[in-house]
Amino acid sequence: MLLIGLGLGLAQPRGGELRVAILAEPPVLDPTASTSQEIPRMLYDNVLQGLVKFNEKGEIVPALAERWQGSPSSLTWTFHLRRGVRFHNGAPFTAEDVVFKFNRARDPRSGHTHPEYYQDIQTVEARDPYTVVFRLRQPNQDFLFNLARPDSVIGPKGRVEEQRTQPIGTGPFRFVAWERGVGVRLERFEGYYEPGLPYLDRVFFRFLPDPNAQLAALRAGDIQVIGLGVSPEAALVLQRDPNFKVVTGFTTTEITVGMNNGRPPFNDLRVRRAIQHAVDKKALVEGVMLGYGTPIGSHRSPGESCYEDLSGYYPYDPAKARALLQEAGYGPNNPLRFTFTLAAPYPYERRLGEAIAGQLSQIGIQARLEVVEWATWLSRVFRGADYQMTIIGHSEPHDIGIYANPNYYFRYDSPRFRELYTRYLRTPDPKRACEIMKEMQRLLAQDAVNLWVMNAPYIAAMRKEVVGWWQNQPTPSLNVTRVYLSR
Amino acid sequence: MRSFLLRRVLLALATLWLASSLVFLFLLFLPGDPVQAILGLEASPAARQALERALGLDKPPWERYADWLTRTLRLDLGESIRYGKPVGELLEERLSLTLGLVLLGLGGALFLALPLALLALRFPFWDLALTGLMALLQSVPTFFLGVVLLYALAVHLPLFPASGFPGFSSPWEALRHLFLPALTLALSRAAILFRMARGSLLEVMGQDYIRTARAKGISEGWVLLKHALRPASLPLITVLGLEGGFLLTGAVVVEVVFALPGMGSLALTALEARDYPLLQGLVLVMAALIVLFNLLVDLLYGLLDPRVAYA
Repeated sequence: MLLIGLGLGLAQPRGGELRVAILAEPPVLDPTASTSQEIPRMLYDNVLQGLVKFNEKGEIVPALAERWQGSPSSLTWTFHLRRGVRFHNGAPFTAEDVVFKFNRARDPRSGHTHPEYYQDIQTVEARDPYTVVFRLRQPNQDFLFNLARPDSVIGPKGRVEEQRTQPIGTGPFRFVAWERGVGVRLERFEGYYEPGLPYLDRVFFRFLPDPNAQLAALRAGDIQVIGLGVSPEAALVLQRDPNFKVVTGFTTTEITVGMNNGRPPFNDLRVRRAIQHAVDKKALVEGVMLGYGTPIGSHRSPGESCYEDLSGYYPYDPAKARALLQEAGYGPNNPLRFTFTLAAPYPYERRLGEAIAGQLSQIGIQARLEVVEWATWLSRVFRGADYQMTIIGHSEPHDIGIYANPNYYFRYDSPRFRELYTRYLRTPDPKRACEIMKEMQRLLAQDAVNLWVMNAPYIAAMRKEVVGWWQNQPTPSLNVTRVYLSR
Repeated sequence: MRSFLLRRVLLALATLWLASSLVFLFLLFLPGDPVQAILGLEASPAARQALERALGLDKPPWERYADWLTRTLRLDLGESIRYGKPVGELLEERLSLTLGLVLLGLGGALFLALPLALLALRFPFWDLALTGLMALLQSVPTFFLGVVLLYALAVHLPLFPASGFPGFSSPWEALRHLFLPALTLALSRAAILFRMARGSLLEVMGQDYIRTARAKGISEGWVLLKHALRPASLPLITVLGLEGGFLLTGAVVVEVVFALPGMGSLALTALEARDYPLLQGLVLVMAALIVLFNLLVDLLYGLLDPRVAYA
């Protein structure tokens, strides 16, 4: 066993620097201070770790906790911590760090992201330096899942403000520098607890907001990896080039045509259903995305647990769409007209939005396209719900709970859904909870709250000597723990 | 001379105040929300309010304006919303790159435009070819020119780096990284300078003193260099005064294409993030650069034209 382990360890050449391009710069470097997805993309498991973590397949595996058990009632959870772990600043990792972290996380005034993930935690206590006990107010089906999220990473106790710009964690790489507007530099942490890892000496995440600049930098050798968001046509070109390879897999991003259920014309179920029948998702995957991506029919991705395939719930049927529109009082003399708001920085969504508007026009629907900057989209559409139709990717995993919030920008107000969601959370039995999760997906599809277009593909491109890159994005994470450069 | 300078400084200060106040006003009418951009999509209302208070965004606009004005008068540009660092610090990091880029671009443009204009005047064949080429360059958008140069000289012929900037610690590397962006800027600005130089040289060549020089039997090339160049460069200087602004806007585009961490790309980030203090600091510094540039051009004009007196 040991020999095999050593053999594997020797097979991967150690050393070298990996330069990875990402599209945007996050506002801070702490996933507990901002929900910007760029933060975990660079730091999740590379620098910052929690008690448990997601592996490449999306399974929950041990991280800083070696093992754990939940009581039969699911109200008490005991975590046994890994011993001998040190933070990058040399401080030992103990139960006190865990207690500090989760007391902060469940305090809604602390500014921690997503306090709702932690609101069911009544107490968190250190039984000894390596044992932590959580007591919950009520069972919470998502408790362990939430502990694996980027929000649940653990830093040294007492360190809050400095984590925003100089994150310290327990991961295989140490944060070195954040050059504003340029990139983030990491280097190997010699004191990492998994023997032999990581393989790379240094990692440099570069912010290259322009896809053309990314491709040019990859071809010129300035970078070795485009971490995400490679356009389908660039992927096809690079695939044919022997110097490069393209890695594709699933994400947890639902590309969603959001409809404002709280105002005309989409407060009418018939109109929302007409939109579902008028859009040919397969044609969008083939024509716009060149075959990358999977059609979906509700707010969940095929790579996630308890997924129910509802992509055929509303088959493509222009005649039926016309009939529904007629029922709702629209026709050739009184066509359905609305404004379709696209967010500038997201190329996949923008292209899909334009194509969808084209498909809708086939049956006489007039969607006026407007493109707005990201900051405008956030304030007008997301916060003000001042829109009729929009399209955006919802990339957080397991985020169906947003439909339980009637003030969310879809303005979907359904007591039935809220009741289902609460029941799901309070059901300790995973099998039973799964059934409810599927029922929630069906209810959203029935109500045609939004048009769920597809599960966005994950497309990364790299030089062929880069080995061990994650194929999927079960959580936003460009995990470089086991990546190496073959000579 | 002294009263001239004093007047210019007062005018400059008024310009700076007006420019940055206008930016403040524009930003008030611009939709967008820096707080949501920082906290992300799923931020709680409590977290939003706390951050708004911390950033002083909960105060009424006139109060924010007064705050900003008094701080700026004390030469304190405040703190960037997005980066949480002093604006002055961020500008300091970026200023050297953009200045280097703009000066290289301007130098390159002059270096291309003047000899070529002389060449065009001396040889009719070149005149046609160069005028056509410059007309083409003038009509090509800067970003397109940048992408073409990038693919030609960094990707297909890997002579230069495609993007980024290592800093000025090793001057040779810095120059290699700045070469393509500066060339892009130089080519896009050379066209107008070439046409201007060619036009004014043509005009000067019709003057009496040129005929006198020729009558003395001086060679045509020497006539151009010795007698025509200096008077012909005066209109060129006037155009140069207008170039300051164009060079800076060109720098914004070029910095994005070549992913250079300069003031241009910072301005774009600041606008996208609605980082009000940073954007105002940037406008202030850029306006100051343009004002300074114009002052230098005016002084240069006096050096070249003995008829100008400062009053």
